[in-house]
Amino acid sequence: MRNINFTKYKYFTLSFSFLAIVFGFVVTFSKYGGFAHSLDFNGGLRTVVELPKDKTRTDIETYFQSKQIEAVVILLEKEKNIYQLDIGLGSLPTIETLYKEIPEDKRESSTSAIDRFVQLLRFEFNLPKEKVLSADQVGAVVGGELTEVGITLLLTTLAIILLYLSIRSQFKFALASAIALVHDILMTLALIGFLQIKPSVPIIAALLTLLGYSINDKIVVFDRIRENAHGKDNLALSNIINVSIAQTLGRTINTSFTTMISVVAIIVGGAAELYDFAFVLLFGVIVGTYSSIYIAAPISEIYDRLRKKKFA
Amino acid sequence: MQSYRLLLLPFFILVVSFTILYPNFADRTLKVVVREDVYSLPEAEQKTLVSGLFDRWEKDYGKSSGWTIEPKGTLPPKENPFYTVKGRFITSAKINQISQENQSLVNESKNKLEPTWIENMIRGGKSLSIKLGLDLQGGMRVVLKGDFEDYTSKLRDLYAKEIAELNLTLNNQSAKPEEKEKAKNRLSEIESSFDLSPMRKIVELEKAKMIIDNRLTTQNLTEPQVRIQKEQDAIEVSLPGVSNSAAILEILQNTETVEYRLEEPNPFTFKSQIAENERRMMDLGQREKTDIYVFQELVKNKAGKKAQDEFLAELERKYNIPKDYKVYAMWARGNSAKSTLLPRSFVVLERKIALSGNDMTNAQPSYNSNSYGWMVSFTLTPNGAEKFFDLTSENRGRNLAIVWGDKVISNPVINDPIAGGRAEISGSFSEQEAIRLANVISEGALPIPLSVLEMRFIGPTLGIESIEVGVKAVAIGFFLVMVYMIFYYRLGGFIADLSLLVNVIILAALLTLMDFTLTLPGIAGIILTAGMAVDANVIIYERIREEIEEGRALSIAVTRGFENAFWTIMDANVTTLIAGILMIRLGNGPIKGFAITLCWGIVTTLFTSLFLSRLFMELSVNRMGIHHLNLRPFFFGKKEGKHA
Repeated sequence: MRNINFTKYKYFTLSFSFLAIVFGFVVTFSKYGGFAHSLDFNGGLRTVVELPKDKTRTDIETYFQSKQIEAVVILLEKEKNIYQLDIGLGSLPTIETLYKEIPEDKRESSTSAIDRFVQLLRFEFNLPKEKVLSADQVGAVVGGELTEVGITLLLTTLAIILLYLSIRSQFKFALASAIALVHDILMTLALIGFLQIKPSVPIIAALLTLLGYSINDKIVVFDRIRENAHGKDNLALSNIINVSIAQTLGRTINTSFTTMISVVAIIVGGAAELYDFAFVLLFGVIVGTYSSIYIAAPISEIYDRLRKKKFA
Repeated sequence: MQSYRLLLLPFFILVVSFTILYPNFADRTLKVVVREDVYSLPEAEQKTLVSGLFDRWEKDYGKSSGWTIEPKGTLPPKENPFYTVKGRFITSAKINQISQENQSLVNESKNKLEPTWIENMIRGGKSLSIKLGLDLQGGMRVVLKGDFEDYTSKLRDLYAKEIAELNLTLNNQSAKPEEKEKAKNRLSEIESSFDLSPMRKIVELEKAKMIIDNRLTTQNLTEPQVRIQKEQDAIEVSLPGVSNSAAILEILQNTETVEYRLEEPNPFTFKSQIAENERRMMDLGQREKTDIYVFQELVKNKAGKKAQDEFLAELERKYNIPKDYKVYAMWARGNSAKSTLLPRSFVVLERKIALSGNDMTNAQPSYNSNSYGWMVSFTLTPNGAEKFFDLTSENRGRNLAIVWGDKVISNPVINDPIAGGRAEISGSFSEQEAIRLANVISEGALPIPLSVLEMRFIGPTLGIESIEVGVKAVAIGFFLVMVYMIFYYRLGGFIADLSLLVNVIILAALLTLMDFTLTLPGIAGIILTAGMAVDANVIIYERIREEIEEGRALSIAVTRGFENAFWTIMDANVTTLIAGILMIRLGNGPIKGFAITLCWGIVTTLFTSLFLSRLFMELSVNRMGIHHLNLRPFFFGKKEGKHA
């Protein structure tokens, strides 16, 4: 077990990660024109409707899927069968087309998107007017400013971690941790874009959790490397890295396993609105573990080698 | 760390934590207050109202909640006009939903959750129960419509004088053409500011949204959601677990401003006229008929701003106050610092605003030990500083009144011109008032008046199903992790589980003490905390095992294991803590909620893993006679290491 050569594949893993990130972002922006739209980030239409008793969540969801309308369906009151339907702005053209398909005698002319959507709903689900409890076009809760805050936050966090780790251990470990952290975030964002997962408040929570997990994981591995490398400057670092990763492997597996248990429980449990959250978190834990071993450690080694060459 | 006595510390902390958490599980009492006017209604109407309440009650809480309501099915006696609701897990937010639906019966703003004895003891009656966020339990949804008509009419008032002057110039035959041109330009400039394009409306709504956001955050509502409804020129505010919607509405709609206005010049013709009249009434023994007494009664009876405004306008007519001036009430406390702030006399101020709240920023409340009162100091914007200097140098000897909302809170004499960008307002403020005034200055007033378009209780935004599944999943996850730890590390796992439980309990108590609102991001923070706490124990046990495998004596192996792991755990937690603190400072809403739980979670984790686990471990090894510590999993673990 002590002889696994983790760093052997470093160029493969580094290029794999790089390509995966690039691929994810290229698909996101060329195929989908960016990240998915969501009510929390872009605003959209929000209606609360009381559906007939014989209609279930599946009925609504199948309807929206079949018409290719992106909707989040939330059950508000069980007994009364009241649902909140959130529609992203991206689906407005589809709604427009569908509205025009309603037979003339069944629709009233209306100009606003929300009115048209309400008419569509009433027509499709045969709802009387009073069963549409509310309908609004709403703005974003988090949006423009969040991206800005997010980037500032990430950069400052990275800077401070760099500083702290440089003081506590060595710059190369600090640098490698920071790069690996960026890697984890980018990887996850690439996945979110690639799968067109709707950005939402829970997704932000998942991203933050993975950030915390990832920092923790990297430091544990690096602390061991630093300890093992202590006073052995001349030994090949790759060897020390391999030994250290092997030594901490038991812990790494245990920790990612225990962390994943709750997350998997949410996914298996089938909570519709929590699925994306848990999925991103699961992916994040895997990526965080992977990057501690296959990204962060090799980078510190490469950095070391480059520096030695420069001074040799 | 080899003493039983050290166990007292965690024991003490646990007892305190359980005490703090007690109100969450306790039987509680809630008073649902019946409106006064219900008692004067015909009996038939009373019956309809009461049956409305109890129909709804049966539906929502009748079978499932185990709550009792007294008296059931009838109107409570007039002497004690309230229903008493008793049970576990009562939140007034929940009952408010029913109250809202029975507005003509229940005076929702007076509903009161009786504090438990612990809350009385620790908090002086303030609530100590964990608040759940909008995503987890729902809350109040208020849609506030921007009143743009009122906005423009106020704007017209502000420019009325200038417009009149400009028109005069335009119609003046003898005025120079360039002067006329200038006046014309200025006039169209002013006119255009009255024209509210949709774009302009959105800008004003955005400003209002920002201010509302700030106001709610200072109310300890960590995760309110505020969004704009473009179609209706409205702002939608969703408030988690709000227990008193009337108080919140007041905060939301509050359009009060802070401004400076000059008082009428000495010898205060109008003011003394009013005062003279008041004195005469007093001499006649007709205190109840003095204007100030009537006005105080209006305030005490909460007659509302409109009634107060009408009263003051009436006063202006009565004393023939010219159009350029306006009557205000001067508010102050009575003789003791604890008496309420009330109007005490009338002053007459210029209608023109000398310096508005927009010219001030960065206000800070501070305690003035000289006068034993609170005051507010603030910075003036560069533009404001210039205006203030001009104002104070041109009007020496006159009184400059500070008007907060409709209240004149002080009117000092201008002695010398005031230069430099700082100034302060001293009045007999309480701490709360000083903070509020500072907030009004710092955040600015709402740019537009808002009226309530819709107000109702909403369900959790995550959906009931998701929450049920989520709670179950987290519970199962916790249980599985604990089983796994025992399976993998045996006694060590048990100790880790124990300290994990203590960790979560202390964390919950800490968050309760801080009035934290728990939301999904917050729970994510707790899950991460639990993960890192387990991780810390794993790191320690792996270290101890290594030491044992190298053949060290058990007690030495344990000590060294903890020592070796110490800095790793520290480093990992401190870096995460730094990231967390940054998130609290820079982030908003969900980010903040996550970061607060994370940061406190790290503090508790460091305590439980580095102190508590170690204490348990060393005690079991050194005192309880455990000679073999096997940190290998059951069934397929290697044989245990040998100890010397």
